[in-house]
Amino acid sequence: MTFEIIDTDVLIVGAGGAGCRAAIASSETNLDITVITKDILGKAHTVMAEGGINAALANLDPDDLCEIHGRDTCSAGAFLNNQNLVEILVEDAPKRVYDLENFGAIFSRTPDGLIMQRPFGHQTYRRTCYAGDRTGHEVLSTLTEELRKREINIIDEVFATSLLTNKNRVVGVSVVDIRTGNFKVFRAPAVIMAAGGAGRIYDVTTNAQADVGSGYAMAYKAGVELIDMEQFQFHPTGAAIPPAARGRLVTEGVRGEGGILLNKDGERFMKRYNPRSMELAGRDEVARSIATEIREGRGTKNEAVYLDVSFLPTKIIEERLPTMLEDFLDIGIDIRNEPMEVTPTAHHVMGGIKIDALTATNLPGLYAAGEVAGGVHGGNRLGGNALAAGQVFGEIAGSSAAKYASTARSPSLDRKAINEEYERVMDSLNRENGLSPIKELKQLQRVMWDRAGLFRNEQDLNAALRFINGHQKQVTSQLAVQNKATRYNTEWINALELLDMLLVAEMFVRSALLRKESRGAHYRTDYPSLDNKNWFTNIVVSKQNGKMLLQTTPVVVTKWHPPWA
Amino acid sequence: MVKKQKVQFRIQRFNPDIDDEPTYVTFEVPYSDRQGVLDALHYIFQNLDSTLAYRWNCRTGQCGSCAININGIPGLACRTVVDPLQKYILEPLSNFPIIRDLVVDLGPGFRRLEKLRPYLERTSAPDRPEKLTREEISAAMELRSCIECFSCYAACPAVASAKQEFSGPIAMRELASFEFDPRDQGDRVQLAVTSGLYDCTSCGMCKEVCIPKHIDTRRTAIEGLRALAVEREMGPLEGHQGFIKQIESTGYAVDVKSPPLTDQLPDVIEVDDPVDEVLFYPGCLINLRIQQVGLNVVEVLKRNKVRVHIPKDFVCCTSVAFRTGARSIASEMVIRNTDYFRKLGVNKVVGLCPGCMSTIKQDWPIVLHEKDKPPYDFEPFDINEYLVDQLGFERFNKQDLKPLPIRVVYHDPCHLNRHQGISEEPRKLLRLIPEIDFIDVEDSDRCCGAGGGVRAGRRELSQEIAGIKYDILSEVKPDVIATSCSFCFIQLVDVVKSSNSNIKVMNITDLLAASYRGESLK
Repeated sequence: MTFEIIDTDVLIVGAGGAGCRAAIASSETNLDITVITKDILGKAHTVMAEGGINAALANLDPDDLCEIHGRDTCSAGAFLNNQNLVEILVEDAPKRVYDLENFGAIFSRTPDGLIMQRPFGHQTYRRTCYAGDRTGHEVLSTLTEELRKREINIIDEVFATSLLTNKNRVVGVSVVDIRTGNFKVFRAPAVIMAAGGAGRIYDVTTNAQADVGSGYAMAYKAGVELIDMEQFQFHPTGAAIPPAARGRLVTEGVRGEGGILLNKDGERFMKRYNPRSMELAGRDEVARSIATEIREGRGTKNEAVYLDVSFLPTKIIEERLPTMLEDFLDIGIDIRNEPMEVTPTAHHVMGGIKIDALTATNLPGLYAAGEVAGGVHGGNRLGGNALAAGQVFGEIAGSSAAKYASTARSPSLDRKAINEEYERVMDSLNRENGLSPIKELKQLQRVMWDRAGLFRNEQDLNAALRFINGHQKQVTSQLAVQNKATRYNTEWINALELLDMLLVAEMFVRSALLRKESRGAHYRTDYPSLDNKNWFTNIVVSKQNGKMLLQTTPVVVTKWHPPWA
Repeated sequence: MVKKQKVQFRIQRFNPDIDDEPTYVTFEVPYSDRQGVLDALHYIFQNLDSTLAYRWNCRTGQCGSCAININGIPGLACRTVVDPLQKYILEPLSNFPIIRDLVVDLGPGFRRLEKLRPYLERTSAPDRPEKLTREEISAAMELRSCIECFSCYAACPAVASAKQEFSGPIAMRELASFEFDPRDQGDRVQLAVTSGLYDCTSCGMCKEVCIPKHIDTRRTAIEGLRALAVEREMGPLEGHQGFIKQIESTGYAVDVKSPPLTDQLPDVIEVDDPVDEVLFYPGCLINLRIQQVGLNVVEVLKRNKVRVHIPKDFVCCTSVAFRTGARSIASEMVIRNTDYFRKLGVNKVVGLCPGCMSTIKQDWPIVLHEKDKPPYDFEPFDINEYLVDQLGFERFNKQDLKPLPIRVVYHDPCHLNRHQGISEEPRKLLRLIPEIDFIDVEDSDRCCGAGGGVRAGRRELSQEIAGIKYDILSEVKPDVIATSCSFCFIQLVDVVKSSNSNIKVMNITDLLAASYRGESLK
């Protein structure tokens, strides 16, 4: 079999905030830089970040320091964070925000003309820099402009299927060109994985279509270690309708402005869960309370509860929640007069590829940044830290990978492995009759939502694991794509994604089974409390001799000591 | 059990690898509460036909991936709520090559952007922190909210006709976002001029289809850049200069070739038992070129017992100056007009030309504010708006209308429909005429190519756009093309003439006047 080979020096998989920032850093050299993206440059999930990007600029609160940003980050993360990475995050974040300004970003300003900073949950000071309520969009469109300026190769709409390795180093990535259906190989001495999160593993999510977790799966298949895969953040309020947008983020600001949560009987149910803080209790607590109401039959017919601001003065809604007002008006709901319907929604993977201070992984030549990388956020991520981490570690990954690429020997391909990969990729397209990837995918999302979501316990997790293992066997041999067109064949891409998603789901579930305590976003009904004696430790997942192996590893603590230590 | 309501979606299918031409396939999708067009596409893909190709990503109007033509108009599938009583035709965005079905290759659009040096240009980075005031950045911030869905580009009649010469509204927005950025040192105006700044007809489609962001590209970006082009002596175009000079020297955009309308009429046209009193603002074309149109307006007002003031000393509304960027001449004329109207002491100003009326409604207040003048103290009305909403449809003199057994098709003037939101009123008036065979065509609101200085400055482009409009209108074989705009009127008269057609072009008030007079138009 023959295939096109495209050579480049640094290959970046993903064109979100981290991937684009990495490309810019790599392009400071004379190397050839290529970014491949599953969607189109400028359209990655980063654009959906509304709130902001954390950096201790102290523009409003002069007492803020990087040190305090670090403490807030670790305390939110239940001290599961790798503090080496946290130190880098908080110290580099201000520089990266200024980089964005240099590239052309316009942030909202204070009356004095400095970058405006808003207060965000669980942060000591006003630290979150923002551009209206479209900060992620401002960040990504700025990076897009800078990429265009630097004439970096961007290849839109290619689906990365596997990391290619040879003699214990990365040598490239195999892809399907979505527009033509052609199988191709990008050969590169250095690869940066920046493929984003995996919200799509769950039935209800804030995430864009692209976020199925292929980055984690590719890393795992290549023998790369991943960390904290049990830590998945659920946001309490996602829109329940319309169906295609189920899970779409309804910003915390709605509750911040006084919005109340009601069940289908009109009861303000938070008084039963947390009468003191009510709707403004912690994200995880509010999410679990809403989920309990729905589970116990007090939800609406759309499997949701009501979030109501209609009693607030119209002016407040119009001035402070303009995007929400407009978003809901577009689907025919006027939040000035009627309540929204909301449901908890899968939001962010705290875990991910295990990286060191240079974003290097255990596979030589492979670097990782952004949501696909783990360890920075620990057990829970602060709002505003995802955009910051993408910029900080994207920049480091770009320069690390460029440095590596400039000295690395030129990579040679393992043709046998590529032929096998080609067979794997074409398998479901070549099969005439079998399982539908579309239906299988929906089933997986539902199982993960029901069994490995907000509430976890041994029995459910085991059931999820049985489902996953059973389906892994079936789908690898029985998946059949009905659509035989090679051009823009979504069903085929779905089939490939499903294989990745099953692997990621297995990592989530096995890690969640192992952690027999509740910490951060990971909540076990059978082990509802923190167990520092046994579980103040990270869980690392990797493939060993074809099997998924889980090991614990001590948490890296440098500056910020947990209260129990 | 109640049968579940179904909605029909007719979808264009095309695989360039195997098909010669696109075909259409109809799917029936069960309706559900608040269903979006994207939901319907998902339903079809998941349950009816997994070969359907469509693009989507964020589902929330923030990435712009799912822009398609929905019943002929570009829009985001994720932000379009399904109306269960409607049938839908879904097609890929126009002006782009098709990859498959509803998926287009946006590449040519992106490459146009890339050519514009679409990034901040400054010679050196400033010291940090850099201070920028909220006022300084507000215009650029609005323009930076674009999600590059290319709906505006696909909807733009000038892009469709000018092809490579016009980089499109999205490009103008991009350039303006840097031009209005206080930090940028690049020359964006020159680039805008060579990228087709003067190809925009001001039709306003770009704003209409900018559902998620509501960016007013025509006003903010294009007219903003044109004003700077004039300031920097790169505009307006040669074809515009004559009009501007004419306004400077005579107060009118065109010269005198026949007796002005204002000379043919008394200061006040009296009626018995007047029900209302208005000032008729004819505008330059009606006053100096198509006086009969003005006489017909007066006749219709008279037949409805409205006492009409004729402003003998009015001057040009300077729409042409606003649209092409020649703002300095504009202020002088606005002030002259408003001072004069104040002296005449009328409360209501009625006009036929929507170019004039939208300028009076939207641009004059800004100029008066800028020049520290008090706001004008009259209410401006388009003639259709006045007759239907102000005078009152109930009171309208229907009894004297005599049959006009002719077939009429209506062309919506952009400055009336999109810029003033008036589209039902002229149709209501048309339907009043006994025995009229009024046919409403789907693309009635497509631009005729006259506006935005394109007719004067870019004649060929203007004619090409007019030709497309003529084909749409003439297809139903009308006796008369009706409109309500002196500018669309002369444009359509020209295109009818050059097509050797005997279709007549008439304004709504021309038809009403003919009906009152009992003329035969056959």
